[in-house]
Amino acid sequence: MSRRAVLAGLGSALLVTGSAVAILRTRGYEVSEERRASLVVLAPWQLVVLEHIAARIAAPDDATDKSIPSAYDVDVAGFVDRYCAGMHALLRRDLLRLLGFIEHMAPLAIKKTARFTHLVDADQDRVLAWMESNDQGLMRGAFASIKALVFMGYYRDPRTWKVMGYAGPFVKRPVGGWQ
Amino acid sequence: MSGRGVIVRGRDLQADVKLEVDAVVVGTGAGGSIAARELARAGLSVVALEEGGHHTAADFTQREDEMLPMLFADGGGRTTKDLAIRVLQGRGVGGSTVHNTNLCKRTPDAILELWRQRYNVSGCAPADMRAAFEQIEKDLSVSEIPAALRNPNNDALRRGAVALGWKSGPLKHNRVGCQTSGFCELGCAYDAKQNALKVVVPQAIEAGATVYADVEVVRVNHARGRVTGVSAIARSDSGSPRAWVDVRSKIVVLAASAIGSAVLAKKSGITDPHDQIGKKLRIHPGAVVAGRFDRVMNSQYGIPQSYECTEHLDFEEGSDKRVWIVPAFAHPIGTASTLPGFGASHMKAMRAYGQLAVLTAMVHDETEGRVEVGEGERPLITYEMTEADRRQLAKGLIACARLLFAGGAVEVTIPAIPPVTLTSASELDSLSTDFVRPHGVPLTAVHPMGTMRMGDDPKTSVVSSTGEHHFVQGLFVADGSLFPTSLGGPPQISIYSFAHHLAPHAIARAKS
Repeated sequence: MSRRAVLAGLGSALLVTGSAVAILRTRGYEVSEERRASLVVLAPWQLVVLEHIAARIAAPDDATDKSIPSAYDVDVAGFVDRYCAGMHALLRRDLLRLLGFIEHMAPLAIKKTARFTHLVDADQDRVLAWMESNDQGLMRGAFASIKALVFMGYYRDPRTWKVMGYAGPFVKRPVGGWQ
Repeated sequence: MSGRGVIVRGRDLQADVKLEVDAVVVGTGAGGSIAARELARAGLSVVALEEGGHHTAADFTQREDEMLPMLFADGGGRTTKDLAIRVLQGRGVGGSTVHNTNLCKRTPDAILELWRQRYNVSGCAPADMRAAFEQIEKDLSVSEIPAALRNPNNDALRRGAVALGWKSGPLKHNRVGCQTSGFCELGCAYDAKQNALKVVVPQAIEAGATVYADVEVVRVNHARGRVTGVSAIARSDSGSPRAWVDVRSKIVVLAASAIGSAVLAKKSGITDPHDQIGKKLRIHPGAVVAGRFDRVMNSQYGIPQSYECTEHLDFEEGSDKRVWIVPAFAHPIGTASTLPGFGASHMKAMRAYGQLAVLTAMVHDETEGRVEVGEGERPLITYEMTEADRRQLAKGLIACARLLFAGGAVEVTIPAIPPVTLTSASELDSLSTDFVRPHGVPLTAVHPMGTMRMGDDPKTSVVSSTGEHHFVQGLFVADGSLFPTSLGGPPQISIYSFAHHLAPHAIARAKS
């Protein structure tokens, strides 16, 4: 058997195995029926991955300060789901692939075999920090992209503006200011 | 075409459209709007096609999450192939003039002379261009920004430059009735910008041009060395195809930016025997430095850019002074994306938002990027900064830090990975600038130029000094693609003015 045939066979086997693993690993994510029905672009498992990423990227500097809304409170993942609908299909595809990478592959970088969503906060932070400071430019770029999306979802909400003392837009400003 | 034109929204089209006109203009930004206006004023029948929507002051909500998708290509997410540089470009009637910060500088004489001497550009020397600059400045009500309207961020730059004895000065703008809200980059809700959307497109329509919004040109049609028109798709609100728009014309003016025009030319198979289209892309790559002050600055309010530092900028090729410094404060989402890190440390940094002043160092670049047709016929932008340009950027960031300290900052952060935080200017003397590498600092580019360069030598340029393609009669270019080199400053006046200066050639061709 030629070297090329061996490589082709190996590649096919990896593809089949990888696909099977990917299918199996998209199960076991708890998302309410109502939430599932509201999704525009993301699959339920992708929503959960994004919720976890957003929770860490937009983590508060004071966990005891209840006035700081969390990424869950302002529904960063839901915003990104809707935002994705307006993206070019190729950009959307790349983003969804990135979510899969973070969930299933990136934890290996910190020697964890669990999914990203099963890691404790500190380990999730280590994974994200690994991406942010990666030697590979594309990885750093991918992190910057998802960070930008998360912060768009987070800092769009007037509740987060108080954190930085931002008074918000002048047009359509509610009486008494943005709350 | 006689009488007044109209704006047609492609999303409202009910059936395919076939048109036959003298000239079709692709894009309605600075260059396209002027081209459409001048062609229509010459009595020609003109259609201008714009990929983005038609939005007016009432649509501009001052919210980043709503305006980025509305006003920017790819929702503000366009990047170079390696994701290292964010490339911000306008999309919609008025193009980038809708979201820009209204800076008005003429093309420097030194640059025009360089193009004449080194790049075989004729008829565009300083004396040749003067009338166009004057006309455009009059059209757009250009004036110097009064010192009274200088916000704290700009005043910090002024104080720093004065303290250091560096060359600096006030900028000019094209605003009338400015409310100093500070939301310029999200479209002007008060209609104070005297831009393509407010001034020039209405003039083009008044002269008889018809503008189609939501219509993406997918091919420039040509045969036997002449253009024959364009094929385009009108899209619905969600972006799905709604109708075909076919325009037959003997003149096609490309004004879809140095990215859009080059991609369109390439995918249309425009003759390119010397492989010039899409090459030598310049973008003014820039990065920011943030200074924290011990008092409230509220840099988000007021005119965002009213003062510049040109101490490290001249226009000689190969110069060691190729950095232009201006303020670059952003609203929360832009700031959050730029500040280094994430999580608790990031939020802590965001709490200082009201105390920050931010400067950007933009490189008058010599790197030669390129634009190609990528997957799905999307623009594929390749730009790998040369070592010389990287050194310029490093020098610019250090200069920004010095200016901020001299202007009164108590702490300065360069948002590199890892972040560089300094508490005194003396720390800059020994600072390593290794962080200036791809993805090492967040880079943004807002001025694409040079992919369909003008010049009289077909081996080194795409269009002649009249703006007409060397090999395809009737195909003209009227945007930043024309420029043989970087400008080293804001390009809008140059683009408006070159479109105005070259329009008579397109008119003459149409009437020939």
